[in-house]
Amino acid sequence: MEIILLIYETIVSTLISLGRLALILVPILVLIEIARYYQVIEKLTSRVKGFMQFLTLPQEAAFPLLGGMIFGIVLGSALIIDCAREGHLEKRDLLLIGIFLSISHSIIEDTFIFAAFGANPLIMIGMRTILAILITRIAAYFLDRLNNQEPYRL
Amino acid sequence: MTLLAVPVKKGLLKSGQLLWLLVKIIVPISCLVAILDYYGIIESFAAFFAPAMSLFGLPGETTIALLLSFFVNFYAAIGVITAMSLDARQITVLAVMIGICHELPVETAICSYTGLKVPVSAALRIITALCAGLLLNNIYNLF
Repeated sequence: MEIILLIYETIVSTLISLGRLALILVPILVLIEIARYYQVIEKLTSRVKGFMQFLTLPQEAAFPLLGGMIFGIVLGSALIIDCAREGHLEKRDLLLIGIFLSISHSIIEDTFIFAAFGANPLIMIGMRTILAILITRIAAYFLDRLNNQEPYRL
Repeated sequence: MTLLAVPVKKGLLKSGQLLWLLVKIIVPISCLVAILDYYGIIESFAAFFAPAMSLFGLPGETTIALLLSFFVNFYAAIGVITAMSLDARQITVLAVMIGICHELPVETAICSYTGLKVPVSAALRIITALCAGLLLNNIYNLF
């Protein structure tokens, strides 16, 4: 009997916390859809030149990189495949985008889901982005050495 | 206003689908955790992992949340988190680790389209997540 009561209480408290999550998640998802509809990413890509230069990636890589970072890895890789087909990106660039996105993707949705349960959203976004940038930069250095190219200097 | 109708409708539809998915995953998992906890199984599991998890400033039972997020997805991990009592600092450390490394079977396969091999990407994410947890815990300890 006690166990049935326990299950009932767990279900109720879980549904309450999911309701709290919905209050945050629904507006965020609607905003993300609006941003996608008005092609905000296309407008942002021209403003991240310095960022792309630091990652030693060409300007064409900005679109899949930002798209994946904000909207999620599935969309990001769809954009990457598109870019690769058009031949804008080299093999090395694709690999670096993959490394960056595997660490930092759909940061808005993921972060707000955890924020609803009490995590600090700024620390979450900061940690993931900084680590992704550092690791991608280090990988770029070693990839270029491996391919006997002159490593990019900062 | 009519201009916004299309994306708003799509966003609402997506939220509905995601929330239903969350209910289907999180409710059963938090019930399972509550039952395991009732019979004291979580306690012995947690005691075994407590020394390792103390590196991240987390209690031993959060191992379950980490493992679920690595191999299933992070919604499953949330099911465990709702059943535990963690403070803001512990949830933030856990959230950063889970945020970096989750749903490995699916996401490493997606990432392999960029030429990043599946084992490499899995190892990269697990190592990064562990380092991030360690780093963040030590940063918190400074304050």
